[in-house]
Amino acid sequence: MADHSSSTTHSRFFQHHFVDAEQQFQTAKMGMWIFLVTEILMFGGLFAAYIVFRLWYPDLFTQASTELNTLWGGVNTIVLIGSSLTVAMAIKSAQLNQKKNIAINLGITLALAAVFMIIKYFEWTHKFELGIFPGQFYDFGGIAHEKANVFFSLYYLMTGLHGIHVLIGMGLMSWLLWRSLKNHFDSEYYTPIEITGLYWHLVDIIWIFLFPLFYLIE
Amino acid sequence: MSGHHISTDKTLLGVAAALLVLTILTVGVNYIHMPTPWNIITAMGIAVVKAGLVALFFMNLYWDERFNSILLVAGLAFFGLLVSLTLLDTLFRAEVIPAF
Repeated sequence: MADHSSSTTHSRFFQHHFVDAEQQFQTAKMGMWIFLVTEILMFGGLFAAYIVFRLWYPDLFTQASTELNTLWGGVNTIVLIGSSLTVAMAIKSAQLNQKKNIAINLGITLALAAVFMIIKYFEWTHKFELGIFPGQFYDFGGIAHEKANVFFSLYYLMTGLHGIHVLIGMGLMSWLLWRSLKNHFDSEYYTPIEITGLYWHLVDIIWIFLFPLFYLIE
Repeated sequence: MSGHHISTDKTLLGVAAALLVLTILTVGVNYIHMPTPWNIITAMGIAVVKAGLVALFFMNLYWDERFNSILLVAGLAFFGLLVSLTLLDTLFRAEVIPAF
Protein backbone atom coordinates (compact mmCIF):
# COMPACT_ATOMS: atom_id res chain seq x y z
CA MET A 1 0.00 0.00 0.00
CA ALA A 2 2.69 2.46 0.97
CA ASP A 3 4.74 2.23 -2.18
CA HIS A 4 2.53 3.10 -5.11
CA SER A 5 5.46 3.59 -7.44
CA SER A 6 6.12 -0.15 -7.48
CA SER A 7 2.98 -0.65 -9.53
CA THR A 8 3.50 -0.38 -13.25
CA THR A 9 -0.15 -0.75 -14.24
CA HIS A 10 -1.16 2.75 -13.15
CA SER A 11 -2.54 5.09 -15.76
CA ARG A 12 -0.59 8.32 -16.16
CA PHE A 13 -3.72 10.10 -14.91
CA PHE A 14 -3.58 8.24 -11.58
CA GLN A 15 -3.29 10.70 -8.68
CA HIS A 16 -1.01 9.53 -5.88
CA HIS A 17 -3.31 10.57 -3.02
CA PHE A 18 -5.77 7.82 -3.95
CA VAL A 19 -5.32 4.23 -2.83
CA ASP A 20 -5.82 2.93 -6.35
CA ALA A 21 -7.40 3.81 -9.70
CA GLU A 22 -10.70 2.25 -8.65
CA GLN A 23 -10.97 4.52 -5.60
CA GLN A 24 -10.10 7.54 -7.75
CA PHE A 25 -12.85 6.58 -10.22
CA GLN A 26 -15.50 5.99 -7.53
CA THR A 27 -14.60 9.24 -5.76
CA ALA A 28 -14.97 11.28 -8.94
CA LYS A 29 -18.30 9.62 -9.67
CA MET A 30 -19.67 10.27 -6.18
CA GLY A 31 -18.55 13.89 -6.45
CA MET A 32 -20.47 14.21 -9.70
CA TRP A 33 -23.60 12.71 -8.12
CA ILE A 34 -23.41 15.25 -5.29
CA PHE A 35 -23.13 18.00 -7.92
CA LEU A 36 -26.15 16.54 -9.74
CA VAL A 37 -28.17 16.77 -6.50
CA THR A 38 -27.43 20.51 -6.39
CA GLU A 39 -28.50 20.70 -10.05
CA ILE A 40 -31.79 18.95 -9.25
CA LEU A 41 -32.42 21.47 -6.48
CA MET A 42 -31.54 24.45 -8.71
CA PHE A 43 -33.99 23.31 -11.38
CA GLY A 44 -36.27 22.26 -8.49
CA GLY A 45 -36.86 25.90 -7.56
CA LEU A 46 -38.15 26.56 -11.08
CA PHE A 47 -40.23 23.38 -11.12
CA ALA A 48 -41.75 24.49 -7.79
CA ALA A 49 -42.61 27.87 -9.33
CA TYR A 50 -44.20 26.05 -12.28
CA ILE A 51 -46.34 23.92 -9.93
CA VAL A 52 -47.46 26.97 -7.92
CA PHE A 53 -48.52 28.93 -11.01
CA ARG A 54 -50.13 25.96 -12.75
CA LEU A 55 -52.32 25.38 -9.68
CA TRP A 56 -53.17 29.09 -9.51
CA TYR A 57 -53.95 29.50 -13.24
CA PRO A 58 -54.78 26.08 -14.79
CA ASP A 59 -56.56 27.65 -17.78
CA LEU A 60 -53.52 29.79 -18.59
CA PHE A 61 -51.36 26.73 -19.19
CA THR A 62 -53.83 24.98 -21.51
CA GLN A 63 -54.31 28.18 -23.54
CA ALA A 64 -50.70 29.36 -23.74
CA SER A 65 -49.30 25.89 -24.48
CA THR A 66 -50.96 26.00 -27.92
CA GLU A 67 -48.29 28.54 -28.96
CA LEU A 68 -45.60 25.86 -28.51
CA ASN A 69 -44.90 23.49 -31.40
CA THR A 70 -45.38 19.89 -30.20
CA LEU A 71 -43.61 18.48 -33.26
CA TRP A 72 -40.34 20.37 -32.65
CA GLY A 73 -40.51 19.69 -28.93
CA GLY A 74 -40.94 16.00 -29.73
CA VAL A 75 -38.09 16.01 -32.25
CA ASN A 76 -35.83 17.62 -29.64
CA THR A 77 -36.85 14.95 -27.10
CA ILE A 78 -35.79 12.23 -29.54
CA VAL A 79 -32.56 14.11 -30.37
CA LEU A 80 -31.60 14.22 -26.67
CA ILE A 81 -32.47 10.53 -26.16
CA GLY A 82 -30.20 9.73 -29.10
CA SER A 83 -27.39 11.80 -27.59
CA SER A 84 -27.78 10.00 -24.24
CA LEU A 85 -27.45 6.71 -26.12
CA THR A 86 -24.24 7.81 -27.87
CA VAL A 87 -22.69 8.99 -24.57
CA ALA A 88 -23.42 5.57 -23.05
CA MET A 89 -21.90 4.00 -26.19
CA ALA A 90 -18.77 6.17 -25.79
CA ILE A 91 -18.32 4.88 -22.22
CA LYS A 92 -18.84 1.29 -23.37
CA SER A 93 -16.28 1.85 -26.15
CA ALA A 94 -13.74 3.10 -23.60
CA GLN A 95 -14.37 0.08 -21.36
CA LEU A 96 -13.74 -2.22 -24.32
CA ASN A 97 -10.65 -0.24 -25.45
CA GLN A 98 -12.29 0.63 -28.79
CA LYS A 99 -10.59 4.00 -28.96
CA LYS A 100 -11.86 5.02 -32.39
CA ASN A 101 -15.46 4.41 -31.32
CA ILE A 102 -15.02 6.71 -28.30
CA ALA A 103 -14.31 9.65 -30.61
CA ILE A 104 -17.07 8.68 -33.09
CA ASN A 105 -19.71 8.45 -30.35
CA LEU A 106 -18.60 11.70 -28.71
CA GLY A 107 -18.71 13.38 -32.12
CA ILE A 108 -22.27 12.21 -32.74
CA THR A 109 -23.26 13.39 -29.24
CA LEU A 110 -21.82 16.83 -29.98
CA ALA A 111 -23.66 17.00 -33.31
CA LEU A 112 -27.00 15.98 -31.72
CA ALA A 113 -26.56 18.62 -29.00
CA ALA A 114 -25.99 21.21 -31.76
CA VAL A 115 -29.18 20.06 -33.53
CA PHE A 116 -31.08 20.52 -30.25
CA MET A 117 -29.78 24.08 -29.84
CA ILE A 118 -30.50 24.99 -33.49
CA ILE A 119 -34.12 23.85 -33.11
CA LYS A 120 -34.33 25.76 -29.81
CA TYR A 121 -32.97 28.87 -31.57
CA PHE A 122 -35.68 28.73 -34.24
CA GLU A 123 -38.39 28.14 -31.61
CA TRP A 124 -37.29 31.15 -29.56
CA THR A 125 -36.74 33.56 -32.47
CA HIS A 126 -40.15 32.63 -33.90
CA LYS A 127 -41.71 33.64 -30.58
CA PHE A 128 -39.69 36.86 -30.41
CA GLU A 129 -41.06 37.81 -33.86
CA LEU A 130 -44.59 37.36 -32.51
CA GLY A 131 -43.78 39.61 -29.53
CA ILE A 132 -43.74 36.72 -27.07
CA PHE A 133 -41.17 37.94 -24.56
CA PRO A 134 -40.94 37.07 -20.86
CA GLY A 135 -42.43 39.16 -18.07
CA GLN A 136 -43.17 42.84 -18.64
CA PHE A 137 -41.76 42.73 -22.18
CA TYR A 138 -44.58 40.42 -23.28
CA ASP A 139 -46.31 41.95 -26.31
CA PHE A 140 -48.56 39.36 -27.96
CA GLY A 141 -52.37 39.55 -28.27
CA GLY A 142 -53.04 35.97 -29.38
CA ILE A 143 -53.79 34.47 -25.97
CA ALA A 144 -56.94 35.55 -24.16
CA HIS A 145 -55.52 35.34 -20.67
CA GLU A 146 -54.27 38.32 -18.68
CA LYS A 147 -51.44 36.26 -17.15
CA ALA A 148 -50.11 34.92 -20.47
CA ASN A 149 -46.71 36.52 -19.76
CA VAL A 150 -46.32 34.35 -16.63
CA PHE A 151 -46.43 31.15 -18.69
CA PHE A 152 -43.73 32.43 -21.04
CA SER A 153 -41.57 33.74 -18.20
CA LEU A 154 -41.51 30.18 -16.85
CA TYR A 155 -40.98 28.79 -20.35
CA TYR A 156 -37.97 31.04 -21.07
CA LEU A 157 -36.43 30.55 -17.61
CA MET A 158 -36.73 26.78 -17.61
CA THR A 159 -35.85 26.04 -21.25
CA GLY A 160 -33.21 28.78 -21.03
CA LEU A 161 -31.46 27.32 -17.98
CA HIS A 162 -31.72 23.91 -19.65
CA GLY A 163 -30.27 25.36 -22.88
CA ILE A 164 -27.31 26.81 -20.95
CA HIS A 165 -26.69 23.32 -19.61
CA VAL A 166 -26.75 21.91 -23.15
CA LEU A 167 -24.20 24.56 -24.25
CA ILE A 168 -21.93 23.70 -21.28
CA GLY A 169 -22.38 20.03 -22.19
CA MET A 170 -21.25 20.82 -25.76
CA GLY A 171 -18.12 22.46 -24.37
CA LEU A 172 -17.42 19.38 -22.24
CA MET A 173 -18.06 17.03 -25.18
CA SER A 174 -15.61 19.03 -27.33
CA TRP A 175 -13.00 18.75 -24.58
CA LEU A 176 -13.60 14.98 -24.29
CA LEU A 177 -13.43 14.59 -28.06
CA TRP A 178 -10.10 16.45 -28.16
CA ARG A 179 -8.71 14.29 -25.34
CA SER A 180 -9.97 11.07 -26.92
CA LEU A 181 -8.19 12.04 -30.16
CA LYS A 182 -5.03 12.50 -28.08
CA ASN A 183 -5.48 8.92 -26.90
CA HIS A 184 -6.06 9.81 -23.24
CA PHE A 185 -8.84 7.29 -22.66
CA ASP A 186 -8.87 3.50 -22.46
CA SER A 187 -10.36 0.79 -20.26
CA GLU A 188 -8.00 1.77 -17.43
CA TYR A 189 -8.96 5.46 -17.42
CA TYR A 190 -12.17 7.00 -18.72
CA THR A 191 -13.37 8.89 -15.62
CA PRO A 192 -14.02 12.22 -17.47
CA ILE A 193 -16.30 10.48 -20.00
CA GLU A 194 -18.14 8.64 -17.22
CA ILE A 195 -18.89 11.72 -15.12
CA THR A 196 -19.60 14.02 -18.08
CA GLY A 197 -22.00 11.27 -19.20
CA LEU A 198 -23.78 11.46 -15.84
CA TYR A 199 -24.15 15.24 -16.28
CA TRP A 200 -25.43 14.79 -19.85
CA HIS A 201 -28.02 12.18 -18.81
CA LEU A 202 -29.33 14.55 -16.11
CA VAL A 203 -29.74 17.28 -18.75
CA ASP A 204 -31.70 14.70 -20.78
CA ILE A 205 -33.88 13.83 -17.76
CA ILE A 206 -34.69 17.53 -17.13
CA TRP A 207 -35.87 17.82 -20.75
CA ILE A 208 -37.93 14.61 -20.38
CA PHE A 209 -39.96 16.55 -17.78
CA LEU A 210 -39.94 19.96 -19.52
CA PHE A 211 -41.40 18.48 -22.73
CA PRO A 212 -44.75 17.26 -21.32
CA LEU A 213 -44.99 20.16 -18.83
CA PHE A 214 -44.83 22.83 -21.56
CA TYR A 215 -45.64 21.26 -24.93
CA LEU A 216 -48.14 18.53 -24.05
CA ILE A 217 -51.05 20.31 -22.41
CA GLU A 218 -54.11 19.40 -24.49
CA MET B 1 -10.62 -1.33 -14.18
CA SER B 2 -12.13 -4.75 -14.48
CA GLY B 3 -14.85 -4.43 -11.84
CA HIS B 4 -17.01 -1.99 -13.76
CA HIS B 5 -20.25 -3.01 -15.35
CA ILE B 6 -20.06 -2.93 -19.14
CA SER B 7 -23.43 -2.48 -20.80
CA THR B 8 -24.08 -4.51 -23.91
CA ASP B 9 -25.25 -2.89 -27.14
CA LYS B 10 -28.48 -4.85 -26.70
CA THR B 11 -29.20 -3.22 -23.33
CA LEU B 12 -28.31 0.30 -24.47
CA LEU B 13 -30.28 0.08 -27.73
CA GLY B 14 -33.20 -1.56 -25.90
CA VAL B 15 -33.38 1.29 -23.37
CA ALA B 16 -33.15 3.90 -26.15
CA ALA B 17 -35.93 2.12 -28.08
CA ALA B 18 -38.12 2.05 -24.94
CA LEU B 19 -37.52 5.80 -24.45
CA LEU B 20 -38.48 6.43 -28.07
CA VAL B 21 -41.69 4.40 -27.76
CA LEU B 22 -42.62 6.17 -24.50
CA THR B 23 -42.01 9.58 -26.15
CA ILE B 24 -44.37 8.68 -29.02
CA LEU B 25 -46.86 7.29 -26.47
CA THR B 26 -46.90 10.48 -24.37
CA VAL B 27 -47.47 12.61 -27.49
CA GLY B 28 -50.20 10.25 -28.71
CA VAL B 29 -51.99 10.16 -25.35
CA ASN B 30 -52.06 13.97 -25.39
CA TYR B 31 -54.42 13.89 -28.40
CA ILE B 32 -56.97 11.69 -26.58
CA HIS B 33 -57.80 14.68 -24.32
CA MET B 34 -58.18 12.81 -21.06
CA PRO B 35 -60.02 14.77 -18.36
CA THR B 36 -57.87 16.67 -15.83
CA PRO B 37 -56.11 15.51 -13.66
CA TRP B 38 -55.70 12.19 -15.52
CA ASN B 39 -53.91 13.84 -18.45
CA ILE B 40 -51.31 15.33 -16.07
CA ILE B 41 -50.95 12.10 -14.09
CA THR B 42 -50.44 10.08 -17.30
CA ALA B 43 -47.91 12.54 -18.77
CA MET B 44 -45.93 12.73 -15.50
CA GLY B 45 -46.16 8.95 -15.02
CA ILE B 46 -44.61 8.34 -18.45
CA ALA B 47 -41.94 11.00 -17.76
CA VAL B 48 -41.05 9.33 -14.44
CA VAL B 49 -40.71 5.93 -16.14
CA LYS B 50 -38.47 7.50 -18.83
CA ALA B 51 -36.33 9.30 -16.22
CA GLY B 52 -36.09 6.03 -14.27
CA LEU B 53 -34.85 4.15 -17.33
CA VAL B 54 -32.19 6.81 -17.97
CA ALA B 55 -31.07 6.85 -14.31
CA LEU B 56 -30.98 3.05 -13.94
CA PHE B 57 -29.42 1.97 -17.22
CA PHE B 58 -27.71 5.00 -18.81
CA MET B 59 -26.46 6.45 -15.52
CA ASN B 60 -25.79 2.88 -14.38
CA LEU B 61 -27.45 3.18 -10.96
CA TYR B 62 -28.81 -0.36 -11.39
CA TRP B 63 -25.26 -1.78 -11.17
CA ASP B 64 -23.63 1.02 -9.19
CA GLU B 65 -22.80 1.63 -5.54
CA ARG B 66 -26.07 2.07 -3.61
CA PHE B 67 -24.70 5.27 -2.10
CA ASN B 68 -25.09 7.14 -5.39
CA SER B 69 -28.76 6.09 -5.58
CA ILE B 70 -29.23 7.31 -2.01
CA LEU B 71 -27.82 10.72 -3.03
CA LEU B 72 -30.33 10.94 -5.88
CA VAL B 73 -33.27 9.89 -3.69
CA ALA B 74 -32.20 12.40 -1.02
CA GLY B 75 -32.12 15.17 -3.64
CA LEU B 76 -35.61 14.25 -4.83
CA ALA B 77 -36.86 14.09 -1.22
CA PHE B 78 -35.67 17.64 -0.58
CA PHE B 79 -37.33 18.76 -3.82
CA GLY B 80 -40.55 17.20 -2.51
CA LEU B 81 -40.10 19.09 0.75
CA LEU B 82 -39.62 22.36 -1.16
CA VAL B 83 -42.78 21.84 -3.23
CA SER B 84 -44.99 20.62 -0.38
CA LEU B 85 -44.05 23.38 2.06
CA THR B 86 -44.51 25.99 -0.68
CA LEU B 87 -47.94 24.63 -1.58
CA LEU B 88 -49.00 24.77 2.09
CA ASP B 89 -48.76 28.53 1.60
CA THR B 90 -49.85 29.13 -2.00
CA LEU B 91 -52.80 26.70 -2.09
CA PHE B 92 -54.46 28.21 0.97
CA ARG B 93 -54.39 31.92 0.21
CA ALA B 94 -57.70 33.76 0.20
CA GLU B 95 -56.51 35.55 -2.94
CA VAL B 96 -53.41 35.31 -5.06
CA ILE B 97 -50.87 37.76 -3.67
CA PRO B 98 -48.73 39.16 -5.21
CA ALA B 99 -50.85 39.69 -8.28
CA PHE B 100 -48.59 38.18 -10.93
